[in-house]
Amino acid sequence: MPNLGIKIPNMGITAIHRRTSGQHAGRKMAPRPPPGLAAALFTGTQQRVLGLLFGQPDRSFFATEIIGLAGAGSGSVQRELARLADSGLVTVSRVGNQKHYQANAASPVFAELRGLMLKTTGLAEPLREALAPLIARIACAFVYGSIAKGGDTAASDIDVMIVSVDLSLEDVFTALASAEARLGRKINPTLYTRSEFRRRRAAGNAFLTKVLDGEKIMLIGSDDALV
Amino acid sequence: MPSSELDNLVRIGQLKAEPYAQSEFDGLVRSGSVRLKDAQDAHLSPESRFDLAYNAAHAFSLAALRRHGYRSESRYIVFQCLTHTLHLPAEQWRVLEQAHRKRNLAEYEGDGVVDEALLAALIRITVAVFDRLTTLKKS
Repeated sequence: MPNLGIKIPNMGITAIHRRTSGQHAGRKMAPRPPPGLAAALFTGTQQRVLGLLFGQPDRSFFATEIIGLAGAGSGSVQRELARLADSGLVTVSRVGNQKHYQANAASPVFAELRGLMLKTTGLAEPLREALAPLIARIACAFVYGSIAKGGDTAASDIDVMIVSVDLSLEDVFTALASAEARLGRKINPTLYTRSEFRRRRAAGNAFLTKVLDGEKIMLIGSDDALV
Repeated sequence: MPSSELDNLVRIGQLKAEPYAQSEFDGLVRSGSVRLKDAQDAHLSPESRFDLAYNAAHAFSLAALRRHGYRSESRYIVFQCLTHTLHLPAEQWRVLEQAHRKRNLAEYEGDGVVDEALLAALIRITVAVFDRLTTLKKS
């Protein structure tokens, strides 16, 4: 019996050693995930401001709204907005004594910047981060509908399809709440199990066929997972 | 049981104030309970189970609103008030919102295919609403 008492702490020490060495090995073998694509191109404030304005180009924002949603300092956001307005990338209109900012659809790089923002900070990255805790249980996830097509209005929800193994709709709503707050937009998830997804596709379900034939922005998994 | 949030909805015309009536409350709980039980019958089609669970959720939600002394003809608002009437967590209320939207699509646009995940969640949350309603009844 006393032997057991001696063995237990030894096991603990071995376990700690093993874990530490495992961590080192893991660090060497797997390189850190690359920083976000947008982070390589823009500063943090730029990413957030451009993400909001070009992620939702049909909507105009007050400066205070942008500061709140971006979670960035007031001064740096104001400077960014001034630069964007000066360059013509963003239009400014006055309503009373408040300035409204909106992405300028007439700018020569509007479409490119919008596409970039949808694939990064303006849509896909907040969604990916929100779904990250569930990633092991998701076979694939993508944005479809008006936003993916680029025909969305300020009132459009973000339509997300998730094919999962065992997630509940409540799990998904809980996870997506942070992205809804960050994007200032409602997310409408459609959740399928893998078997239900396959069955419906095989049966030529009208809704699913339309979704799969339309534009998609992949969040988790790849198009191959859909085949 | 007056509530400032619900009174605000009365002020903007979204809700009506109406004294609580025990017999009406009991009737709603009874009708909801029968439907919820049938909704859990796996022999029925998913479409029928969805309709039954949806109507049960509405009966329970309306009962909760009536218990507080309010009424609304709008099903959407009845569900929306669950945050205040039964302190239903956001992710559960969002399931009811999605069910409401799907039900309208099915009724008015003929898109009647019911997702398994939505049906399962709707039944779970209708049970949760019923459980919360039972605690409210006692208090």
